[in-house]
Amino acid sequence: MSRLLETSGLSRSFGGLRAVAGLSFAVAEGEILGLIGPNGAGKTTAINLLSGVIKPNAGRVVFAGEEVTGLPPHHLARKGLVRTFQSTVVYGHRTVRENALRGAFLGLYPGVVPAFLGTLRARARRRETEDRIAELLAWFGLDHLGEAIAGSLPYGRQKSLGMVIALAARPRLLMLDEPVAGLAAEEADQVLETIRRIRQRGVTLIVVDHNMRFISGLCDRLVVLHHGQELAQGTPQQVLADSAVIAAYLGRGHGAA
Amino acid sequence: MASVIGAAARSTRPRISALHGLVAGAALLLALWPLVFGNKFLLALATLVALYAIGAASLHLIIRTGHVSFAHAGFMGVAGYVAVLSQMRLGLPFAAALPLGCLAAATVALAIGPLILRVTGKYFVLVTFLFGEILRLVFTEWTAVTGGSNGIFDVPPPAPVFATPLGFYYLALGAAVLCVGIVARILGSEIGRTIDALREAERLAECSGVPVIRWKVAVFVVACALAGVQGVLQAHYLRLIDPTTFSIVESLNLVVMNVIGGMQRLAGALIGALFLTALPELLRGYVEMQRVFFGIILIIVMAALPGGIIEIGARLRALGKAR
Amino acid sequence: MFTPTLLAQVVVNGLSLGAIYVLVALGFTLLFGIMRVVNFAHGAFAVLGGYALYYLYGQYRLPYILAVPLSALLVAVISLLLERCVFRWFYQKMFQSMIGLLGLNMALVFGSVIIWDTYERAIPPAFNGMLQLGGVILPLDRLMVVAIAAAILALFWLFMSRSRWGLAMRAAAQDVEIAEAQGIDTLSTYRLAFFIAIFMTALAGGLYAQIYALSPFMGDRPLVVAFIAVILGGMGSIPGAALGGLILGFTESFLSTFYGATLSAFVSFGVVILLLIFRPWGLLGTPE
Repeated sequence: MSRLLETSGLSRSFGGLRAVAGLSFAVAEGEILGLIGPNGAGKTTAINLLSGVIKPNAGRVVFAGEEVTGLPPHHLARKGLVRTFQSTVVYGHRTVRENALRGAFLGLYPGVVPAFLGTLRARARRRETEDRIAELLAWFGLDHLGEAIAGSLPYGRQKSLGMVIALAARPRLLMLDEPVAGLAAEEADQVLETIRRIRQRGVTLIVVDHNMRFISGLCDRLVVLHHGQELAQGTPQQVLADSAVIAAYLGRGHGAA
Repeated sequence: MASVIGAAARSTRPRISALHGLVAGAALLLALWPLVFGNKFLLALATLVALYAIGAASLHLIIRTGHVSFAHAGFMGVAGYVAVLSQMRLGLPFAAALPLGCLAAATVALAIGPLILRVTGKYFVLVTFLFGEILRLVFTEWTAVTGGSNGIFDVPPPAPVFATPLGFYYLALGAAVLCVGIVARILGSEIGRTIDALREAERLAECSGVPVIRWKVAVFVVACALAGVQGVLQAHYLRLIDPTTFSIVESLNLVVMNVIGGMQRLAGALIGALFLTALPELLRGYVEMQRVFFGIILIIVMAALPGGIIEIGARLRALGKAR
Repeated sequence: MFTPTLLAQVVVNGLSLGAIYVLVALGFTLLFGIMRVVNFAHGAFAVLGGYALYYLYGQYRLPYILAVPLSALLVAVISLLLERCVFRWFYQKMFQSMIGLLGLNMALVFGSVIIWDTYERAIPPAFNGMLQLGGVILPLDRLMVVAIAAAILALFWLFMSRSRWGLAMRAAAQDVEIAEAQGIDTLSTYRLAFFIAIFMTALAGGLYAQIYALSPFMGDRPLVVAFIAVILGGMGSIPGAALGGLILGFTESFLSTFYGATLSAFVSFGVVILLLIFRPWGLLGTPE
């Protein structure tokens, strides 16, 4: 399997506090990688670094054989690196369909002049995108809610919409930030199923979560973070058997997770 | 099922076509205005409304990106001075001076835009407030070029055809229709959807691939160039260009037009331009009283109708629906 | 060029100007820090303070030392009516307050024009004399301004750091909800903060009008100054506003004496714009 994303020595500190230090791992094409650790382990910083929301102090990120360290999020999105947000971030005052269309900016936007003139090409793009969006919404069970206002949806639906917005950008690598946080058990199972289906469509995934049960059943490989540093890395079986992981993480939080 | 949704999605929203009808009606009324009202005063009033519609609509474009610029009149001034000077000193024709003026305003906007558009909300208001003051200082203090606080007199008419009040009215109206049309088209297209997206959730839009800063700068530049059209035409209309026409008070006036009318809709900016240009002119004999009155209206609108005048319609509609 | 007398005068002018600016900026930053109100009508209150001093001292000949605080008190008391009718609508609504209070500014300034007309009046100086210290000659009236401002600032500092009300105001500035949960009566805290802010601004307005000239449009400069000082120090930060006001007063005094008023204005605006872009939270504020 070829490596889609690779980081080496990725570090970031905030005012002397090292949030992430020397993070190195690789994601193979078609893989689901879990980034796991207790709260405050640096997971959020890690995903912010990978998606370009913040810039690293040191280290490199290589995506599809190209160095992308420190590039801004819109640049990475264009290359196929897209993320969701932990808190539900949607365009709250807009309809579900409008939310999805905005996520599809890269495919939908035809350039200044065609957009301004409303050329045939622009309209064709719009029709194509609308069909694609309708399919995506149906896939997430949101098709009957297309005209509903996003902010009025229940929490779980808003999380689904967040994924639709990300998928509308047609990512090669999708990063999910705590996709099941705050969801009920059966909703979480549905999300699990959805993530597997996203992978079947040829999208590589990085899933960030602290829920060991959820993530070990889903991921091909895990990277465990602790105090901003990598504690262990490997298949779920290897990681679960790792004594450092058991001591530092599972020893305390297993029952709660 | 899916095909039904697709079809519904593709049909244009009816509200837009109603709006188009309204706009066409207004344009017709404006075109016929001088024929119906031969009165000189009313013609002058309509000319001013047309000019301010340009400024208010172009500021609206910036406001839609989530930034309220308090330097808009300053950019008008840049365009006005450059156009007037290039005509009077370099002998350029009006048709070349107008775009040159707008280009100058756009250049200044492009130079400072990438710096100041990083700053959000209240800080942007303050930065532009100060930048507007700096521009006014340049107009006032660079006496050798701008004529200082006296300004430049005897600005020639754009062309003999436009030397009469009626001729100039149609020039202003044409410019207003063109500029407001450009703004409306921008906002109605995919460009407008993206502008709304980056205002409402900047980080999300950026993660969907929108280069946010670049977009904001582009919109800012276009809006300042459009504002330049008002600056140039106004100098020709008044036959005079001086710093007071481009002071912070004028910038505030444009902001107030947008706020009073309703900030989130282009129609709000136009209503505001109509309201704030016509009312002072109609109450001309009582300048001070009128300003006091205006101030009180501003307070009341902001306290009771933060969405602007346009919200009255929405509220009435909501009332109707409730019954 | 740098004679001791000139230099000393630059310093005293800077101090007196800075002291006035500090008072104006503190009022502005109190309103912003506690109520999240951007007071675009700030200059108008300075104008009212100027007219109050004009009547109490210039016309009715009250002793100067009494007329200055009394005129500010008068404006602050009358302004409580505006607090009730106008400001209360805009608490915790930053953007709406900007525009609404812009309207208030218009109403107050043009109301003043109706009452007092536009011509400039002069408030007679409190002292005409010069103080000679060694080889240095200093204008007494400027020193008086510094002394008054220093006294008011000292009282303000004592009030904010020692009194129960001052602590309540600081708590409300930190976080309104927590302050309310601790049993602080926000509405009366707001009213008190408003009263103090207007008192300081009106007082500064009186002193300013005495140094320059009094007219309904006099308030523009104090408003811009308050803005700049507050941005320099950091929006809502009380020590920041004090520092910003002092820096601004000294810069203006120094630059305008040696290089002219235009350059002084360009420099202060330019510096503040740069600061806003690269450090929007100001010198003493904290990033959000």
